[in-house]
Amino acid sequence: MSSKVVLKTKGKSAKGSKPSDDKSTSKILKEWSTWTMKKAKVITHYGFIPLVIFIGMNSEPKPSISQLLSPI
Amino acid sequence: MATHIPPPATPSPAAEPTKPEKVDYFDLPCPIPYEEIHREAMMSLKPEHFEGMRFDFTKGLNQKFSLSHSVVMGPTEVPSQSAETIKIPTANYEFGANFIDPKLMLFGRILTDGRLSARVKCDLSENLTMKANAQLTNEPHMSHGMFNFDYKGSDYRTQLQLGNGGLIGASYIQSVTPHLSLGGEVFWAGQHRKSGLGYAARYNTDKMVASGQIASTGMVVLGYVQKVSEKVSLATDMMYNYMSRDVTASFGYDYILRQCRLRGKIDSNGCTSAFLEERLNMGLNFILSAEIDHKKKDYKFGFGMTVGE
Repeated sequence: MSSKVVLKTKGKSAKGSKPSDDKSTSKILKEWSTWTMKKAKVITHYGFIPLVIFIGMNSEPKPSISQLLSPI
Repeated sequence: MATHIPPPATPSPAAEPTKPEKVDYFDLPCPIPYEEIHREAMMSLKPEHFEGMRFDFTKGLNQKFSLSHSVVMGPTEVPSQSAETIKIPTANYEFGANFIDPKLMLFGRILTDGRLSARVKCDLSENLTMKANAQLTNEPHMSHGMFNFDYKGSDYRTQLQLGNGGLIGASYIQSVTPHLSLGGEVFWAGQHRKSGLGYAARYNTDKMVASGQIASTGMVVLGYVQKVSEKVSLATDMMYNYMSRDVTASFGYDYILRQCRLRGKIDSNGCTSAFLEERLNMGLNFILSAEIDHKKKDYKFGFGMTVGE
């Protein structure tokens, strides 16, 4: 009898964990995409202008650093 | 031979004796992109008015690469609940870098308070273009970003838009005759759970452009621009919102002269405005902007200089 009870509770706990598994995979996906969006926003915010300057300084004809910094 | 050419003052709409133009419906020109359907009316009637002083300096390091420094000082409007406009004096410095290549265009501007405005346009292939646009701020939930994928066909254009907040949109525009193009768009805003549908039409000849747009959000926009001569155009436009029963009509002129460009308009809201860009010298422009709102008693005057190409 006791073994049956134990099996029942095991069954219940197994059933209980399955729907929470499904929830957690979609939840994990959502959390992961939100995390990537946040990181992408920070990277773009700090890195976009340096990226444009980097691409510009390496285009032909190559300008010099003094031209970048001087106000003339 | 000369007698067969009809004089230009008397056009004959019904019978075209010398030039029977046979329209080749398989060889129509590519239409204007859907978001630029009111382009001429917007350019003539909506210049960038500002209040205060503005100074822009653009320094080209290269044919493709340039840096820009911009200082703006003046009162900025703060949105307020009451009918009064509240203005706070602000001063900003904006640094920008542009890289312009036939295949890739990068445009970035950053303000002293940390706001970044970035635009990227990349030609992935001959007909497919990717554009991205972002306004990023340090405040949470105030940043926007949008990606557009444009495909250009022989006489049509399609565009797919993806934005933050679950915004998805698509638009299609087709040339129906050499002068007329029709288009439609549909969008879905995930965050606000709203969807919308819109149609647009544009008829243009050498002398005039007429455009109209209607959207299920309640907005109807009609515009008409007539090129009176090489230097002068007149434009009029009407915006009507059938949900909120709000109408605004405006009428304006656009003088493009050798040394200056003057645009002025008057509105049905009791607002008159003018914008002058005067070329003092090669690479030196002087700008004056005035916007007088008689109804709200809001007077905005601005002046500025632009140095560099």
